[in-house]
Amino acid sequence: MNVIVNKLRAANRWTGIGLETLRYAILGREINRGLVFKLFLYWILIITAYIYLNPVMKMIVKMVMNEKDLVDPTVAWIPNEIYWGHLGSAWQALNYAQTLTISMMVSGLVAVFHIITCGLMGYALARMSFPFKKLLVFLLVMSFIIPPQVIVLPMIIMYTKLGFQNHLTSLVIPAIFGFGIKGALFVIIFRQFYTTQPKELEEAAKIDGASAFRFYWRVMFPLAKPAVLIVGMFSFVWTWNDTYYPRMFLGQTDNVPLAMQMSFLDNSIKAMLSQEDAAPVLIEAIKMSASFLTIAPLLAIFFFAQRYLMESVERSGIVE
Amino acid sequence: MRKLVSALRLRNMETLLFVGPWLLGFLFFMAFPLFFSMYMSFHKVTVLPYRFKYEFNGVNYYREILFGSSELYDKLIPFFQEIVIMVPVILVFSLFIAIMLNQNFPGRALFRVVFFLPIIFTSGYILTEFVNQGEGTLGFLDRFSLGQYLNQFLGDSSWAKPVQDVLNRFVLVLWYSGVQILNFLAGRQTISKSAYESARIDGASPWEVFWKITLPAMSPYILLNLIYTVVDMFTFPYNPVIELINTGNYGYNSALAWIYFIIIVSFLSTVLLLYNRINKHAAGAGR
Repeated sequence: MNVIVNKLRAANRWTGIGLETLRYAILGREINRGLVFKLFLYWILIITAYIYLNPVMKMIVKMVMNEKDLVDPTVAWIPNEIYWGHLGSAWQALNYAQTLTISMMVSGLVAVFHIITCGLMGYALARMSFPFKKLLVFLLVMSFIIPPQVIVLPMIIMYTKLGFQNHLTSLVIPAIFGFGIKGALFVIIFRQFYTTQPKELEEAAKIDGASAFRFYWRVMFPLAKPAVLIVGMFSFVWTWNDTYYPRMFLGQTDNVPLAMQMSFLDNSIKAMLSQEDAAPVLIEAIKMSASFLTIAPLLAIFFFAQRYLMESVERSGIVE
Repeated sequence: MRKLVSALRLRNMETLLFVGPWLLGFLFFMAFPLFFSMYMSFHKVTVLPYRFKYEFNGVNYYREILFGSSELYDKLIPFFQEIVIMVPVILVFSLFIAIMLNQNFPGRALFRVVFFLPIIFTSGYILTEFVNQGEGTLGFLDRFSLGQYLNQFLGDSSWAKPVQDVLNRFVLVLWYSGVQILNFLAGRQTISKSAYESARIDGASPWEVFWKITLPAMSPYILLNLIYTVVDMFTFPYNPVIELINTGNYGYNSALAWIYFIIIVSFLSTVLLLYNRINKHAAGAGR
């Protein structure tokens, strides 16, 4: 059989050589190896990447334009001069030093607590057998679906009674117990990760007589690095960007996270420029600078961590 | 016997260590607020200095919202229509991009970085800012005067506006796909290379391979993304219904929130039911 195939191939090589190689070069032996496909792929990816990057680039360009360039319609992308003044104004309007510290602390703490509590719960759901487990899974799914708007009013009342209202701890406390922004999703991510780990590990530990808790911290948790990284990243970013809960819980305080201060920006810029009808282009430029300042830390962290993150995504198969 | 009982108790204690914190959290941050908000929805809540006053109001708020005015429906129906269009678009788009990103080509890492950016932006106020700046549109409706054709095609049906809105904010659809792309990317990695190799040896075309191997293997991820997208759209703080929830008094708001929650659950169940049907049908046809 093989001999025949080889002979046919040899024959083919001499008769249709030009056409075949050309065809393979353009269309490819597999569809995803051909030139046409490659071009198509780059075309799609570049277009979508452009759509994603366009606002970011606009933001960065507007941020450094001076007043003259901003009103000049001929200056679209390349400013005549790089002007850093708007960044300074935005820094002031955002009260950056303080709000940045607050955001860092709140988001960092929330991420750490989410990793700990959601990890424990995810492991229990994946690997332990206990009564009412099915019920807990159901409750977990429910708490994922329930919109925060249903429960936020009673939470405000509860916080007021307990004295947490208008205090930054109100943003962190739910995370200690695995709730807060998308806590349920993080449990699901951990659960999925732990389900894919080999069963033999536990048997070995049981024979060695290690307690479940010790085993978890010593063996399973270190193995869960990809899941930890993903949950940590998502938790940090989502808490950082959230304005809903801060708006609800921090109504009357000056200690607000960065994202919330950002949503007050219109007023604080106007107050700073000390007139009601400040030049709109100027406000816009300062706003762009403020947007940049708000996400710059996230971008920095992301560019630093993206390689590990992408590897983790591939390895964890995030959620089922 | 005693030893066995104590061992069992020890194991239960250990389980409690794992489940306990979450369970406490559920009681404090889900169960209690849920019941309390239900209680409030049946009461007229007045804010007095230092305390609240609750007067029993029966189902009056529910009746008022559902039958009294059309406020809810005015916001909800167009929003629904938008969701019905946007969810499939987001899913198909993110699956498509994920498969593209999974190919081996130079510059892959760079593109992946770019496609992660939406996750950093979309959740925040920044996105609202971008939309206000007019970055949310591609502008092609105006450029090719597509709006006219759409009007002709859809006529006076109530779908004309939602379709136009979605097209107008098409960039937003792309922005919303960040997590979904990541999810599909992770899902794609779980399909073994050998499955593809053997299919190719058997002479399946890439088209067939996609429909017979990739899609069925991705099915759970599609389901997850479906749920995630729907929940995400429904709970996004800037959606019109949620803005409505924040405008009334406490009792009214709670009733509205509950109605909204029930709508979400029924919508999700319908979607899941449909998904199951289609999935079963596809599995049957595949055999």
